[in-house]
Amino acid sequence: MSADEIRTSKAEELRVVNRPLARHDAAEKIAGTTRYAADLALGGMLHARLVRSQVPSARLVRRDVSRALEVPGVVAVLVGEDVPHNEVWVDVPGQTTEVVALKASMQVLATERVRFHGEPIALVVTETEDSLAAACEAVDVEYDLLPGVFEPEDGLREGAPAVHDQGNLLAEWNIDRGDVDAAFARADVVVEGEYATQFVDHAYLEPEAGVAWMDDDGVLNIRVATQVVEHYRDVARILGVPDSKVRVIAPYVGGGFGGKEDMTVEPYLALAVAHTRRPVRMTWTRNESLLARAKRHRTKMRYRTAASRDGTILGQDVEITSDAGAYAYLSALVLLYSSVHACGPYRVDNVRVRSKTVYTNNPPTSAFRGFGGMQVVLGYESQMDELARELGLDPAEVRKRNSLRRGDVLPVGQPIETEVLLAETIDAVIERAGDKPVPRGPRRAVGRAIASNMQSYGRLVWLNDSAAAWVGFQLDGSLTVRCGVPDIGGGQASSLAQIASEILGVDMDDISVHFGDSALTPLAGTTTATRQLLMSGNAVYEAATMLRNQILGAVAAERDQPVGSFEMAPGEIAGVDQNVPLKQALMICRRRNVPIEALGTFYGPKGREVGRELHAERIFPDFTFGTHLVDLEIDLDTGQVRLLRYVASHDVGRAINPMIVEGQIAGGAVQGIGQALLEEVVMQEGVNMTGGFFQYLIPTAADVPDIESVIVESGEGLGPFGARGVGEPPIGPPAAAVAAAICDAVGARPTTLPITPERVPDCIDRGRSREGGTAA
Amino acid sequence: MFVKPFRYERASSVTEACALLREYDGEAKVIAGGQSLLPMINLGLVDPSAVVDISRIAGLDGVAERNGSLDVGALTRHRALEGDALVARHQPLLAEAVRSVGNTRVRNRGTLGGSLAHGDPAAELPLAMTVLEAEYEVSNGNATRTIAAGEFPLTYFTTQLAEDELLTGVRVPKLPAGWGWGFHEVSRRPGDFAVVAAAAVVRCRGGAIEDARVGLAGVSERPVRLTSVEAALAGVPVSQIEDVVGEVDAIEPITDTMASAGYRRRLARVLARRVLADACQRSEGAD
Amino acid sequence: MTQDITVTLTVNGRTVTRAAGAHLSLLRWLRDVADVTDPKYGCGEGVCGACTVLVDGEPVSSCIVLAAQVDAAEVTTVAGLAGADGVLDGLQQAFLEHGAAQCGFCTPGMLMAATELVSRGVRLDRDTIRGELHGNLCRCTGYQAIVDAIASVAGGERG
Repeated sequence: MSADEIRTSKAEELRVVNRPLARHDAAEKIAGTTRYAADLALGGMLHARLVRSQVPSARLVRRDVSRALEVPGVVAVLVGEDVPHNEVWVDVPGQTTEVVALKASMQVLATERVRFHGEPIALVVTETEDSLAAACEAVDVEYDLLPGVFEPEDGLREGAPAVHDQGNLLAEWNIDRGDVDAAFARADVVVEGEYATQFVDHAYLEPEAGVAWMDDDGVLNIRVATQVVEHYRDVARILGVPDSKVRVIAPYVGGGFGGKEDMTVEPYLALAVAHTRRPVRMTWTRNESLLARAKRHRTKMRYRTAASRDGTILGQDVEITSDAGAYAYLSALVLLYSSVHACGPYRVDNVRVRSKTVYTNNPPTSAFRGFGGMQVVLGYESQMDELARELGLDPAEVRKRNSLRRGDVLPVGQPIETEVLLAETIDAVIERAGDKPVPRGPRRAVGRAIASNMQSYGRLVWLNDSAAAWVGFQLDGSLTVRCGVPDIGGGQASSLAQIASEILGVDMDDISVHFGDSALTPLAGTTTATRQLLMSGNAVYEAATMLRNQILGAVAAERDQPVGSFEMAPGEIAGVDQNVPLKQALMICRRRNVPIEALGTFYGPKGREVGRELHAERIFPDFTFGTHLVDLEIDLDTGQVRLLRYVASHDVGRAINPMIVEGQIAGGAVQGIGQALLEEVVMQEGVNMTGGFFQYLIPTAADVPDIESVIVESGEGLGPFGARGVGEPPIGPPAAAVAAAICDAVGARPTTLPITPERVPDCIDRGRSREGGTAA
Repeated sequence: MFVKPFRYERASSVTEACALLREYDGEAKVIAGGQSLLPMINLGLVDPSAVVDISRIAGLDGVAERNGSLDVGALTRHRALEGDALVARHQPLLAEAVRSVGNTRVRNRGTLGGSLAHGDPAAELPLAMTVLEAEYEVSNGNATRTIAAGEFPLTYFTTQLAEDELLTGVRVPKLPAGWGWGFHEVSRRPGDFAVVAAAAVVRCRGGAIEDARVGLAGVSERPVRLTSVEAALAGVPVSQIEDVVGEVDAIEPITDTMASAGYRRRLARVLARRVLADACQRSEGAD
Repeated sequence: MTQDITVTLTVNGRTVTRAAGAHLSLLRWLRDVADVTDPKYGCGEGVCGACTVLVDGEPVSSCIVLAAQVDAAEVTTVAGLAGADGVLDGLQQAFLEHGAAQCGFCTPGMLMAATELVSRGVRLDRDTIRGELHGNLCRCTGYQAIVDAIASVAGGERG
C-alpha cells in the first residue's frame, strides 16, 4: 500500500507529515455519507434548468416565454432582461487596446446574440424536476443565423466574421530572448515540427450542481460544486447587492480539474432564488456539461529547434495559436502559461515565442489541469526526440544535457532558484522500467519512450496571492482548522489536518477541518493553479506555528523557564524536567490571556505585472519537474495501441502524504493518457457532436496499465516542509510520451491528438518510407 | 435525466403487450431490460407517452435444444446467454459475441430480443444472428410470423417489426460438426459500441475452404453478409484468404465521432480476414 | 398527466413503499423519493457506473432501470455495506487504506461493482480486475489505488 518508491534527500524527522495516512475525508466517502452539491434537498425546493442555444452563431430574433409559463408546475421563466446586471466582466491582462479592449464581457443570459452552441438564453424554474423538459421546450427562440468562425486561423483572416465587435484576436504574447536568428545560423542541426491538440473535457464524474437559498438575514447562500468560493463577489455584482449579502459554500466536490474554476450554476441559482425567494436546485446533465462548460484549448504549435552536434540546444522558435472559443474566460492567461512553458525544463538561451488566442464560435475554453503548460509538452518533447534521432543520440542524454539547473534563466527572464532534479527523475523511470518488452505476436510492434516536463505551481506573482487559515484548540485538546480552501478531491482539507497535526501534536482523528465557506472560513483563494498546498498549506503552517509558540511561551512563563525549554508533543507539552498535559497548558494560556487560537496569512511571492512583450524577473513562484516512461504495443493492422507499462516520477519537494501524491500522479497520468489516445470534444461547424459519455471516451480501468510512481524528494519546494505542488504536473508528459513511443515502434511520429487508432496506420506508412521501404 | 413523464404498463402476456401497443397507437415503446431504450429517453432522443414492460412475461426466456437448433427466448438476458452450457457447446460464436456487449451491468439487464429489436447496425448480436442464419419468431398477439435474421434489420434503428409486434424468440442453428467460427471487433474502449465487428463460420478440409459465411457490423445501415467474398472463398486454400479478401466493397460506412468511414473500411478488410482465419483454424482443429 | 405508481423496495434492509412517478428511474426514485442519495448521477446513459447498485445481488445502472420494473426487489447501495455499528466492511476498509477514494464521486458505484466482483469468490488477478471494472469510470485515481484495494481483498497483490 505504501509508496511505490520514494527517493529522498535532506530528510528531517517528521511524525505525521510524509506518511501515507488515510485521508480524513475518506471514510465518509467510502461509507457513502458525504453529501455532494446535488445531494442536498430543502423543503419547498424548486428546480431550474437552462434553455440553451441550438446554433453556434445567430442573432436572437425572438425569445417568447409565454407558452412556457403556461406549462403546469412552472414558477418562473427568466431572460436576460430579468438579470439586474446581465454582464460578467473578465480581465484580459497584458493586452493593449491595439489587440482588444482590456476587458471582455459576456452575458449571464444572452439577449441579442449567441456565439456558441449551448449558450444560455433563458432560465426555467419549476416546482418539480418533471416539468423542466416540457417547460424548456416551450420557450420559443427564433434565430437569425450568422456566419461563424470555427478555426482560429480563419478568424484572423481579413474579412472574417466578427465573433466580437472588437475583433477576433483576444490576446497575444511575445517572448524574445537572445539572438534566435544567429543561433539558427550557427546550428549543426535544425528540427522542425507542427503539433496539434484537441478540445478536451474535464469529465469529472460529478456534473455541475448546486442548491441555493435565502437565509434569515437576507444573505443568499449558494452551496455549489466549485473550486472558487470567491465567486460570491461575481454573483453579488450580477444581482447588484453588496458582496456581504452573498455566501458561497463548497462541499466536497466530485472532481474539478479546472472545470469548476469559472462559474457554472452559481449565477442561475442566484437569479432563481432572488426571483422566487425559495430554495432552488440546479444540476446540469452530462450532455449540458459536455456541451456548454468551457473546454481545454485546442492548440496548434509550430516548433523550430536549433542545436549543436552534441545535442545542446542553441535556440528555439515557437508559434502557438489557441482556440479561445466564444468568450474570453481565462484564455489569455492560459496562453500566457503556454508561452512561458514553451521551452520546457531546458536551458535555451535564444528564444522567440509568438502566441495568439483567437475568438471562434466554438465552446468557450478556459482552465484545465496544466493550464496551457501541458499542451506545449507535446511540442517541446517531440522536438527533443527528433533532435536525438537526427543526431543519433540517446533521448535521455539529450534531455539531461539540456536540463535546467539552479541559476539558469527561463526564456521569460525568471532565474531558477532551486535545485532541479530532472535528471534524477529520468534515471528513476528508466531504472524502474528495466528491459523493453518484446511484441506478443506477429504484426505487432512495441515502443518505449520518455517525456519530461515542468509545470508551475502557485499563481502568477503579480496577482498578489494570499491565503488565510485559522487554527484553534478546543478546551478538550482537540483542534479546529478553518480555511476557505475548496476540497475538490485532491485531499486539500486532509493535508491541512496533517500539517497542523505535525506541528501541534494533535492526533489526526481529533482535528476537524472546516473549509470552503466564503462567510465562515478565512478566505484562502481558489483551488486552482496547484496553489493550495503552497498557499493554504503555508497559511496553516504559519497559524499552527504561531499557536504553538503562544502555548509554549505561556507554559514557559508559567513555569519560569526559558522559552526554548518546551516543545509540543502528542497530548502534552514536553519539557526538559517535566511534561505539562495539553489540557493543563490550555488552562495556563487562558489564565494568562494568551489566545489558544491563531490566524495565519501566507502571502505568495510578488512580482510586477507583465505586458504583451513578456519579460519578468519572476513570473511564477516555482516549478515542479518530472519524467514519465511508457511501453506500448501496436497492432500494425488495426492501429490499436495498448499500453504495457507506465512509470512516472516527479520531484515533489516533500510528499506531505505519499499516498495522496501517488494518487495525483496516477490520476494525472491517466487523464493525460486519455488526452493522448481517446478523448476529444468533436465540433462540426460549431455544432458540438459529443452528446454524452458514450461519445466522450475517458480511459477505463482496462485501458491503462498500472501507473508505477517514483517520488523524488528534493526538499526544495516553497510549500510547507519543502513541498512542491503536484496537482497539475503529472498530466503534462503522457501525450508526448505516448506519441514518442509510437514513433519508437513504427518509425514516425503522430503529431495530432488524440492519437486514435485510425491515425496510427499513417505513422506506420510514414515510418516505412522513412526506413526506405522495409516493412515495419 | 430531466425526462418528460410517461406512463408505465406492465404486460403479463404477449397478447396483452401487443394490445397495449395498439392502444397507444405508436406512442408506446416496448421495454424489457431497458438498456437501449432508457439511455435514449434520458438523452431526450425518444419521448414515448408510455412504456410497455414485457420483462415479466412468463416463458420467454431461456435456451432449449430442439433438433438441430437452439431456441432462445427473447427475454434471455445477455448474462444468461454468456454462461449457458448449450450455447457454449453448440454455438460458441454467439457466446463470444455476447461477451463483447457493453459492461456487466448492461449484460445483467439487457435481453437478446431487446438488442435485436433495437436495430443498432454496429451491435454484436444482430451480426452474429445474420451470419448464423438464425430465424426470429415475431408475434402481434394474434398471429406469428418468422423472419430470417438477415432480413430483419432494415436500416439504422429500424427493423421489420410492426408497431404492435414483439420479437418473442430466436432459433439459432447449431454449428454443424466440422465447422469453425471466428468473431472479432474493434471498439474504442472495452465495452463500447463496436466501430466494426466481424463474424464468420467456415468449413475447411485439407487446408482449403469448402464453405464460408462472413459478415460485418458497423459498416452499413445494418449488418451485412459479404456474399461475393463467400462465393470467392469456395475452394480457396486457407493460406490465400488474404488474397481473396481485399477491399470490401459491399459496405457503406459512415464517419461519426468514433471513427471515419475510411478507417471502418480498413477494419472491414482486417477483421474479415481475421475471423476467417480463426474460423478455418477452428474448423481444421474440429476434424 | 403524470402517472403515480406504488413501488416497494427493500433498500439496505429497510422496506420502503412509495407512490411516485411511473417514469422515475431507480436512481431518481432512490435519491428523490426514498432519500437514499449515495448512488450518484453521472451520465444517465449507463456508461459511467456512478449509479451502480445491486438489485437482488446483481449490479445494475440504476439510472437506466425504472423503479417500477424492479418492484419488490432487494436493493443494496454503498450505504448498506457497513455494519449496523457503522464499521466498514472488508472491501471498504481496503479502499480506505489504499486511498482508493479521491473526490469520492465514483466510489459508491465502484464499491458496488467491486462488491459483486469479489462475491464471485474467485481469485482475481490485476488484469481481470481491470477488465471487469471497465464499466465504472473514475477520473481522479487513474484506477491504481482502486485495483490495489480490490486485489488486496481478492488476491493478485502487486508483485
